[in-house]
Amino acid sequence: MGKKIEIHDFEPKIMAFVCKWCTYSGADLAGTSRMDYSPNVRMIRLPCSGRIDPQFMIKAFEQGADGVFISGCHPGDCHYNEGNYYARRRNTTFRQLMDFHGIDIERIEFSWISAAEAIKWTEVIDAFTEKVRELGRHPQYDDEVVDPYAQFLVQNKQESA
Amino acid sequence: MIEAIRNQARLLLENGDVDVVIGYAEGSDPSRTTPIFIRKAEDVEKLIYDPRCINSLPLYLNKRHEYTRKGWKKTAIIGKGCDIRAIVQLIAENQLKRDEIYILGVPCEGVVSHPEKWDGSLHDGNRASKCIGCDVMTPHETDFFPGDKPDVDRSTPYEATSKNVATLMELELDKRFAFWRTDFDRCFKCYACREVCPHCSCNTCITDETTPSWIDPAAHKKGVFSWHLTRAMHLVGRCTGCGECTRACPMGIQVDLFNQRMKEVVQESYSYKPGYSLEDKHPLITYKVDDREDFIK
Repeated sequence: MGKKIEIHDFEPKIMAFVCKWCTYSGADLAGTSRMDYSPNVRMIRLPCSGRIDPQFMIKAFEQGADGVFISGCHPGDCHYNEGNYYARRRNTTFRQLMDFHGIDIERIEFSWISAAEAIKWTEVIDAFTEKVRELGRHPQYDDEVVDPYAQFLVQNKQESA
Repeated sequence: MIEAIRNQARLLLENGDVDVVIGYAEGSDPSRTTPIFIRKAEDVEKLIYDPRCINSLPLYLNKRHEYTRKGWKKTAIIGKGCDIRAIVQLIAENQLKRDEIYILGVPCEGVVSHPEKWDGSLHDGNRASKCIGCDVMTPHETDFFPGDKPDVDRSTPYEATSKNVATLMELELDKRFAFWRTDFDRCFKCYACREVCPHCSCNTCITDETTPSWIDPAAHKKGVFSWHLTRAMHLVGRCTGCGECTRACPMGIQVDLFNQRMKEVVQESYSYKPGYSLEDKHPLITYKVDDREDFIK
């Protein structure tokens, strides 16, 4: 096993919010089976995909993540019976919100991965990393003042100071 | 019309059926009206209703405000159609009980978008954008209504009332991002959009939480973005489109464009229109096994 190591100009930062019963165990299985997958992903383990508050994803983008990955048990397999159904509804709307805001929804990936699907985990993560790498860096909320009226205020403040 | 409302309000107060009537009265200058709380029957002459009455009164029914804890058993409220939508949504969310409220419905022909634009009459130049295509000019849920209530078909899907939503959706992704960046540059986080919202009902808002501080309190663009996205996300499927957030914004940011877009999404995905049913559950606290999942890998 073992893949050829490639060197890229841009390494995306990817946050993964995963369910502890399925996806985290799946990723664990991938690790104990010594499978290779992209090291760009930073995982956060949560009790259920229903626990993934859109706030987490907003915060991740705000703090400079280039992609966000969300994953949980397959429908019908939730440890808490229905958490992933709520997650599904929430993400349907959240993706549209991000799209309207101007963030490419390709940067948010949702996937069902069970504890036995270590191979799916590696495939999905590799493909997603590749996709985000092509999209490039997420537009930053830098400090540059763009609004003409705000510029006017800032200039006036500087002059009077 | 307003005479009938005044008489009914006087009757209610004299009989002790309600403790307070919330309505509109003349404001500080001729273009403005102000919300008024009437507790004595002789004061009902102060009540008025015309297109200047833009404030959303259901705000005062929200438990976040102290008014509901003043020992008032029953409140009468003057509601135009869009306000009654907000009341219905509050009842559907168990913020309020239907029998605590006596709704005095008014027939409404639209309101002005901003008090400054009032010039004695209502016309296309000063009409609020939410009033175009409104289907609750005759209110849908009332206890008292002056005159007859004609039947209105309210099954039509929700349409975004502002043309800007469609214009923005046609833009390229990075142009849209640039638009919001310019617009949010002006935001200095006064939270007026939160304070006027009849549906923001958390006792402690997430922006006021400090451990952990989820949303940066500084008026830096990072915090501004996350505040507006969080606000829009919390109102998905709950916003009834009164447009008060945009009107209250001192910097003229069109914060309700997010809400209007999300109303469309909720309508498309779950055929849910907030504010029309006392029983229907909010779409994000329920689910169907066969919900759409075309975006899930």
